[in-house]
Amino acid sequence: MLKQAQPITISPSAPKSLIGSLGHLSIFLWALVMVLIPSLTKGIILALFALGVLILIYPAALKRLARPRWLAIFGILFLVNLFFGVSHQAPDLTVLGLSFSSINILSSVQMTLRAAVILLAADGLSSSVNIIEVAGLLERSGLRGLGFSIGVATNLLPDLRQSGMNAWHSLRMRGGFRAQWWRGVQLLVITVFSNALRHADQIVLAAEVRAFRPELSRHSPLRIGALDVWLTAGLTILGMVLILG
Amino acid sequence: MKFTTRELVTMAVFGALWGLVEISLGSVFHAVDLPLSGMALAILGAMVACIGRLFVPKRGSTIFIGIIAMVLKLFSIGSAVIGPMVGILAEALIAELILSTFAKPSMPAFIFASAGAALWTLIQPFVTGVLLFGRNLLVIWLDVLDMGTRVFGIPYQAALWIVFVLVSVHILFGGIGGWLAWKLGQVLKTRLGGEVSQPIG
Repeated sequence: MLKQAQPITISPSAPKSLIGSLGHLSIFLWALVMVLIPSLTKGIILALFALGVLILIYPAALKRLARPRWLAIFGILFLVNLFFGVSHQAPDLTVLGLSFSSINILSSVQMTLRAAVILLAADGLSSSVNIIEVAGLLERSGLRGLGFSIGVATNLLPDLRQSGMNAWHSLRMRGGFRAQWWRGVQLLVITVFSNALRHADQIVLAAEVRAFRPELSRHSPLRIGALDVWLTAGLTILGMVLILG
Repeated sequence: MKFTTRELVTMAVFGALWGLVEISLGSVFHAVDLPLSGMALAILGAMVACIGRLFVPKRGSTIFIGIIAMVLKLFSIGSAVIGPMVGILAEALIAELILSTFAKPSMPAFIFASAGAALWTLIQPFVTGVLLFGRNLLVIWLDVLDMGTRVFGIPYQAALWIVFVLVSVHILFGGIGGWLAWKLGQVLKTRLGGEVSQPIG
């Protein structure tokens, strides 16, 4: 489940972190560009480079991806592309009695690296950036009020879950899912939705009592890192040089 | 897109409900390896989004709900969920486009929107597989045929039949989901006395 959304407090005396919200977003977008645009042979080198950069920045994300489940998925992805990948080239390599096309091997490596880079970048972003910061980033792209809505939704999630569980247990204990199970399901859904919407009424009242107006509210705050601007500029130039060069 | 406080909170509620479906049921379906679980999740999500549209009948409200659900899914436990995130966003976008072609929320709009969202789950592997994971189109096509064979017992060679049955099942169940969403939405509106749809803020 999610943690409760906490307001981001930015005090002037607190030391500025090196990478802020914009920096992490830039890293994520750069990693996507590095693996999605380049061609086959160049793609492997660039994906390895992107993987190295991501491991340096997000070592904890690498630990999560090194779990057996993910390693098995990467292994399957590699093998499926190796044996079922389509290339017009005839097999030109033999390993342990099995014939492979070198293009298929390169393609399998690239696809596996691509998946690893994308998953590492997404995991790194989600573990480094606060949920309200993501809302702030989206708000600045024109979705006004999204920060407020995401804050409400995050704080509402545990209550909704509890309310759903309570309704489920109440109905089950009264035999609601035995004789007329379909009616029981309908009642469950209606109860959960009604409770949620009634709860929404209270939130609206609380927001209006505090004179909250979406059109007058400030954007959700973003963490600005000391290196954000340099990092964004550097990654943009590096990406262009590596891909176009 | 300008929304009042009440509309923002109502969309937050429906986004949280969609997020809850994805986080809780999504994990369960994934764990038990339920066939067509993507379709089931898409239909449930589209139902929530459609009911949300009934309470906030404005253009953009469905995609707004979808973005909230997507962000909640992104920050849920067991990260690296890029596939479901793309799925939620695409389903919300499809539902939004279909619902926006109708003047106001109606049963046919809900049926088409839900069926469209369900159908996306059949198309998504071809998009995300190729763009994000660089998978071969043929491999994805074989996966789809394999799923059709396993779920419906149709021989592997009858590829067109498998596709026809898969598309029909997605549209049929999606349509039923849309119809149920309309019915549930009406019941909810009656129960709540229509008070939620009246803007205050």
